[in-house]
Amino acid sequence: MSLLSRVASKIADDARNVLNTPRELALEARYTVQAYRRGDVSATQLGRTAAVTGFAILVVAVLLFPIYWIAMSAISGSGGTVYAAGGFSFFPDNPSIQPFVWVLGDLIVPALAVTVNVPFTDLALVFNTPEIAFLDASDHGVDNPSNFKQYFVNSVIVSVPTLILAMCVIVPAAYALSRREFIMRRKVLFGYVLFTQVGGGLGIAALIALYAMFVQVGLNNNRLALAAYYAATAVPFNTWLLKTYMDGIPVSYEEAALVDGAPPWRVVVEVILPLSAAGLATVTIFTFLTGWMEFVVAQTMLSADKFTLPVGLFALVDEYSIPWARFSAFALTFASPVMLVYLFAQRYIEGGLSFSGMEG
Amino acid sequence: MSATSRIADRVAEVPAIEREDVSLLLVLPGLFLFAAFMFFPMLYLLGISFTNARPSNLFAGGGFLTFGEATFVGLENYVAVLTDGTFWNSLGTTWLFVATSLVLKIGLGLGVALVVTNERVRGARFMRSLLIVPMGLPAIFTITIWRGIFTSAQFGLANQLLSWLGAGTVAWLNERWPAFIAYNITEMWLAYPFMVIITVSALQDVPKELHEAAMVDGAGYFSRFFHVTLPSVKRPVLFASILTAAASFQQFLIPYAFNRGGPARLNELVIVYGYREAFQFSEYGQGAAIMLVAVVFIGAFMWLNVKKGRLADGVDEA
Repeated sequence: MSLLSRVASKIADDARNVLNTPRELALEARYTVQAYRRGDVSATQLGRTAAVTGFAILVVAVLLFPIYWIAMSAISGSGGTVYAAGGFSFFPDNPSIQPFVWVLGDLIVPALAVTVNVPFTDLALVFNTPEIAFLDASDHGVDNPSNFKQYFVNSVIVSVPTLILAMCVIVPAAYALSRREFIMRRKVLFGYVLFTQVGGGLGIAALIALYAMFVQVGLNNNRLALAAYYAATAVPFNTWLLKTYMDGIPVSYEEAALVDGAPPWRVVVEVILPLSAAGLATVTIFTFLTGWMEFVVAQTMLSADKFTLPVGLFALVDEYSIPWARFSAFALTFASPVMLVYLFAQRYIEGGLSFSGMEG
Repeated sequence: MSATSRIADRVAEVPAIEREDVSLLLVLPGLFLFAAFMFFPMLYLLGISFTNARPSNLFAGGGFLTFGEATFVGLENYVAVLTDGTFWNSLGTTWLFVATSLVLKIGLGLGVALVVTNERVRGARFMRSLLIVPMGLPAIFTITIWRGIFTSAQFGLANQLLSWLGAGTVAWLNERWPAFIAYNITEMWLAYPFMVIITVSALQDVPKELHEAAMVDGAGYFSRFFHVTLPSVKRPVLFASILTAAASFQQFLIPYAFNRGGPARLNELVIVYGYREAFQFSEYGQGAAIMLVAVVFIGAFMWLNVKKGRLADGVDEA
């Protein structure tokens, strides 16, 4: 529980920071204007700062424009407004959430009748639960919603086992690589670092053989077999990442625990793991996302009823009849939770990726 | 540099945690899992590449890790592949893509990193965290958005921009070089966050004193950039470049999602070529040979870089 509350407080912190940034910037701008009035800052300096900042904002806006564009397409209702014949407009004329309703479809918990027989009597208690409708698609004029929910369930069935299996092999390995010395240690580490970058393409290169193997044992179209594969691909990068976090924990903490007479496993459980919580969180997110976002292998292995979300998304785009607005809404619903998680995990990811040991 | 080995050395001095090769057991499950799904298929792939395997004969007769009723054809697949113009076109296009996209990625990454580390920019930290959001997005999501941007129809964003600039519209994905340009732009957008992260952290490590000293000597912005900034960030950027060049070489999703490496197989980067040969045209043996040739190329490329760029010293310690 303490881990959860810590994560919650971190998120609250970040959110507060995000909300405060505009206010702080405004305050800073006001101070600067005051300084300018007093004559502490010259007009050229002020102008230069404003110009450079403006340029930076422009760069950010241009680079992030595709995301804005897809968001605008998603709420453009019929899908005709963002790219209407009259040219591009920054905001659709008739914004509508209908495409999102199409993605989610009905969110209805059906009415259930639960019967409990009272023992030794003929009595039976019957509970009728009411139907709970969060969202009724037909109210919004959507008759034929997307398969989003089905794909979502498939993705969960793939991603959760991926996460569990991957964590089971990654955590001990990261600990050993960080804290113990053994034969082949450097070779393993070096191999892992190399495979972090060439793994994706190798996976596709080996896909022919992998597919043949899965078919031969009848495991193609099996979501759990796919999860095992994803867990395997997640091993090199995440082991290495978690190891670099564990390297940051001072050895003196362990020594203190050892001096107090704690057995090695307690040192690991009560010192190392809690202190590498940030790394564990990052690795958890990454291994989960491995299964959540992979496309090529899933597309090759799975048949339509077992499609995961990325495959379902791509199946949409391959049908030319699909309106752009619906596709955008589907894509955003799939990607925005990932994007949010990533925003909050960002500083940890940056820390792990900066190759801080590399110098000229 | 050697922070890790020092920690390990110090732990080795602690009596309770002795230097023990038993610790290898903690690493083995992960290694085994990885090998089972990576190296093992690679070996099997090597076997397949010497046969005339197709779905019809490979899966006949059942059995695991057999070649079914496929027959051994020796080096026939390799001969067929290496004498095929389409393959060399694909490999050439791939290397061209590596070169062009690498230049674009480094250029954009370095440029953006310089902008958001400029001390005059207000709210730079905030901008940085927004800027690298694309890295956290599912690749298939990003690539399908860009496919929408480059759609040949008039309403595509790229075409809207062109017509706004007064140029005509382009059938982006139906012609060879426009499609190639579209791949490059998309790859640039996919990879810039990685470059920005690495460059920004390298730039922040450049000592302020160096810049100040250069300023005292009367160096302008550009000469400071070339003589102070660039040499200090060279190695991290080089490292990132090699990794992202490897990523470009293995690019699959962009050509596949945009137009299946079209038009008419002209832009099939080599992995797409092998994939389509195997799964679209059911030539498993041929596809396996192509994939292995590609793996040899990327392996040689990485090996050369690791040796020549002395990357091993850095990575080994990382």
